[in-house]
Amino acid sequence: METKTDTRRLNTIHPRLRELLFTMRRFLKNPLSVIGVSLVVIFGLIALLAPVLQPPKYADPYKIPHTGFRIEPSPPSAEHPLGTMQQQYDMLYGLVWGTRSAFRIGVLVVAANLFIGIILGVLAGYFGGTVDEVIMRITDIFFAIPFLVMAMALVVAIGRGLKAVVIVLIILGWPSYTRVLRSDILVTRGKDFILAARASGASHLRIMITHVLPNALYSVIILASLNIGTTILTAAALSFLGLGSETGTADWGQIISLCRSWIVGTPGNRFAYWYTVFVPGAVISLFVLGWNLMGDAVRDVFDPRMRRR
Amino acid sequence: MILVLVGVSLLVFAMMMLLPPGQRVAAYVTNDRVSPAQMDALIAKYGLNAPAPLQYVRWVTNMLHGEFGYSITASSPVLKGFTRFFPVSVELVLFAAPLIILTGIFLGTLGAVRKDTPVDHVTRVLAIVGFSVPTFWLGLLLMMIFYGFLGIFPPGAISTDARNIVFSDAYHQYTRLVTLDAILNWRWDVFWDAFYRMVLPTLNLVVINSALIMRLMRSSMLESLGQDYMMTARAKGADRRTLFRHHARRNAMLPVITISGITFAELMGGMVITETIFDRKGIGWWMAQAALQLDVAAIMFDVLFLGTIYVVINLIVDLIYAYVDPRVRLS
Amino acid sequence: MARLPLADARELATNFYTFEGVVRALNGVSFVVNRGETYGLVGESGCGKSVTVRSLMRIVQAPGRIESGRIVLFFNDEARTRGIEILQRSEAYMESVRGSDISMIFQEPGAALNPVLSVLDQVGESYRFHRMEQMISETVARLEDERTAMRGGSPRRAARHLQAALLRAERAGYQRFADRVGRIDDELYRLEGRTDAEATDRKESLNRSRDRARLRGGLASVARRVPILRRYRRPLDATIRGHVVKLLRSLGIPNPENVVRRFPHELSGGMQQRIVIAIALACHPTLLVADEPTSNLDVTIQAQIVELIRELKRSTISSVLFITHDLGLVAEICDRVTVMYAGDVSETAPVRDLFRSPFHPYTQGLLASVPKAEQRDELAMIPGAVPNLIRPPKGCRFHPRCPKRMDICGEVKPPTVERTSGHWVACHLYTGGRSA
Repeated sequence: METKTDTRRLNTIHPRLRELLFTMRRFLKNPLSVIGVSLVVIFGLIALLAPVLQPPKYADPYKIPHTGFRIEPSPPSAEHPLGTMQQQYDMLYGLVWGTRSAFRIGVLVVAANLFIGIILGVLAGYFGGTVDEVIMRITDIFFAIPFLVMAMALVVAIGRGLKAVVIVLIILGWPSYTRVLRSDILVTRGKDFILAARASGASHLRIMITHVLPNALYSVIILASLNIGTTILTAAALSFLGLGSETGTADWGQIISLCRSWIVGTPGNRFAYWYTVFVPGAVISLFVLGWNLMGDAVRDVFDPRMRRR
Repeated sequence: MILVLVGVSLLVFAMMMLLPPGQRVAAYVTNDRVSPAQMDALIAKYGLNAPAPLQYVRWVTNMLHGEFGYSITASSPVLKGFTRFFPVSVELVLFAAPLIILTGIFLGTLGAVRKDTPVDHVTRVLAIVGFSVPTFWLGLLLMMIFYGFLGIFPPGAISTDARNIVFSDAYHQYTRLVTLDAILNWRWDVFWDAFYRMVLPTLNLVVINSALIMRLMRSSMLESLGQDYMMTARAKGADRRTLFRHHARRNAMLPVITISGITFAELMGGMVITETIFDRKGIGWWMAQAALQLDVAAIMFDVLFLGTIYVVINLIVDLIYAYVDPRVRLS
Repeated sequence: MARLPLADARELATNFYTFEGVVRALNGVSFVVNRGETYGLVGESGCGKSVTVRSLMRIVQAPGRIESGRIVLFFNDEARTRGIEILQRSEAYMESVRGSDISMIFQEPGAALNPVLSVLDQVGESYRFHRMEQMISETVARLEDERTAMRGGSPRRAARHLQAALLRAERAGYQRFADRVGRIDDELYRLEGRTDAEATDRKESLNRSRDRARLRGGLASVARRVPILRRYRRPLDATIRGHVVKLLRSLGIPNPENVVRRFPHELSGGMQQRIVIAIALACHPTLLVADEPTSNLDVTIQAQIVELIRELKRSTISSVLFITHDLGLVAEICDRVTVMYAGDVSETAPVRDLFRSPFHPYTQGLLASVPKAEQRDELAMIPGAVPNLIRPPKGCRFHPRCPKRMDICGEVKPPTVERTSGHWVACHLYTGGRSA
């Protein structure tokens, strides 16, 4: 309990701000969440500063420069700090610009998913009845479809490339958001304070916007932050399978697919090309890990049971 | 439920309609002898320029007759290719799924029971890492370490020698599951050969997929342990083992059942990467090839198949859930 | 009425180590429950009533911990005139005490029952934990009777023979366990009064052995796990079922054969509470602790449950420790009562004395705030709010709200004095304290 002076000072701050400060303090107390946020911030900085860190050599900054055509990857050297991949593509360049690419893909897909998912979720949760039924059936159908296989098929049908990957991930990704939001809306609607709001004369729309949505949005936000990670994983998987960007583009999955043939090393040295396999995968893992830790921490912080004063 | 399947078929059909008629022919023909001259005739024959609804009806009727078209990647009609590829995947799934579920449950319970101890932290880290790591990277790393470096656990479903044995006359393929057949034929060398090639893919699948179950079990168990009925059980004089096993775990398992079902269904669909990396020619591998070569018939069949599996598994899970949770049972 | 003590708690201090700080929930609580007595524990929400009884049974949840104090229990055994100090005993010992000598019933019966286990499972567990030998003996006796009633070498006869033999083996395991445990407990009892170093060491090692002692059943424990052989336990299950049905019927539950198969969510609140009571009473405990058992029930059901508890006190149990915030209920059923405030005991007295002449200002405030039928003016209120127990007020915890506070009240915690016979109060007004 704060002393008398602390209480008085805290009491003068707007309650929303106070809650926010409390939330942030809790958030930062957890070591895992600090790690998560740091990772995301680091990657964010890398993505933003990509033109500075690794100045592009071609008109399209996402084409990785390669010095030569030798097939075998080379180990780290002064010229290529992280070594090169197959056909002498520079690893560091690929990874740095790949970060930028990852952010673009991730944010774009998740934002679009949020948009579609929230709209449909609100419609389903608010109107109920037939609208709800129809939307729920549609999400059922999407859930039944095997994600990766369908993604592969759609990318092929639309035409390969990163654009197609993004479109496909948006098309296939929104149902979970709708489901989560709808169920949260239903739960919140059933609560007593909504009834109280109705009793004091608030209109449906007003209740929806000021009471229901703010409470129901927490889960969706958590889902979104966790989803950025899985989206990147799927996009990388698609690129790995050859369905994403063209060879030589700075895209993480692409980079890993280039190193597939090198895992057995040479007869003399089994581990000869370990860096081509290890490094890009580690980078992806750390990126996804950062988002997952952050999403987890956000969930813990918002959990009503754990919010005590 | 049927509605969902119809919906899935509609989506698949819509996707198919994105392609030109020349490529859609594959979904109807039964062999690959199609010359350019015959193409137009075939397009007319199968009504591939007719209005979409008509095409849909035609396509569905075709399927209900067992005609799924020809798969270029399988070099055979789709169904035949399916019977060739399916057992390989099923074998791995049947092997890995119980391990995934049991690992998840065990480690999740462990973490909950020993909350905030080093054991708990280790399992939580394991779960988060397992969740964050790309499947293909882990697979490649495992291959690199075990096969590349140590020389054990080679890729592939079965070695050439063993393969020759399997397809010889003396050998009966009862189930087409290599390990099971090997036991039934009492050929332990074949069994071992196939078995240890499954170790790495299974490890890969377990690490990635048990993470979710682990986390869910942990939080479910913690919630269960905090309930009032645990206090009653303690007040009765229950010892720790009974408290955890009998009272808490039963309640904690309920959400895990649903997730296990979903994991199982997703496992079937998500084998693409694992099979590609470990060179196991199952339906996942087939799909990877089919996507690259635009094998329309195969892709459509697989999506429908997996969708059906998902629906069936969900049904089974619902039944199991109703059996286990008395609150859900019909009176 | 002879005043034989049953449970004697002295200076209990329990803390909760939470995120925000250390909550000093119990600040040296003392009370004595005598045999044949209904003892009431009253106070506002959060004053520590539940924590007190949970400390008594040592089922305080984490992050709580009993810091200091003594709890001495005096049980039925004629040979045991000395009490048993339980705060130092092993957890295994407490497990044998809970449900068997002391039982507890709870406030929300719906939440207190496990939703996935049937009524039979949950009530039967009490018998399985504490009365297995008796159950097995009864089953074996019945099997023997049935066997002699049958003639010849029919397979059913042989089956019964086998079942009886397996059950006997299991019972032997229980007896061995009981012997070993009994020896440890006996020695601990003999060492009870001594506090010298040697005795303390010996007690510690005995407690460890007690925790380690496990039921080793040999053949029986293997057979218990094999599904086919588990059929030999069917007669045992039937015996337990019989006891459960009888118990439910004696508690006034209609159609008990049907009820045992049901699950908690299928029963009404009053029924659920009776089931909870059944669980508590199955092994005839000496002390029944009731933690606000009627607060969540309708008034009519409340009356039934209270009547039931009264009846049980007449017949099976010896004493009841009744927690409530309802003073009317206290007046109705309790013999003695303790009033608690913020982790302190304010006043302890026989019920009549408390209501007629309350000494502690808090008690006076409580009684004054109960609306009376002939009251015409405003309702009386105790000003202020219950303190935060992480930084409780210094000295007497009630002093910030006390209309009769003195300077010393904010400095020194008031000692408990016996103002009149059997009437104790912790207040500086009665200890001769003046302004410092």
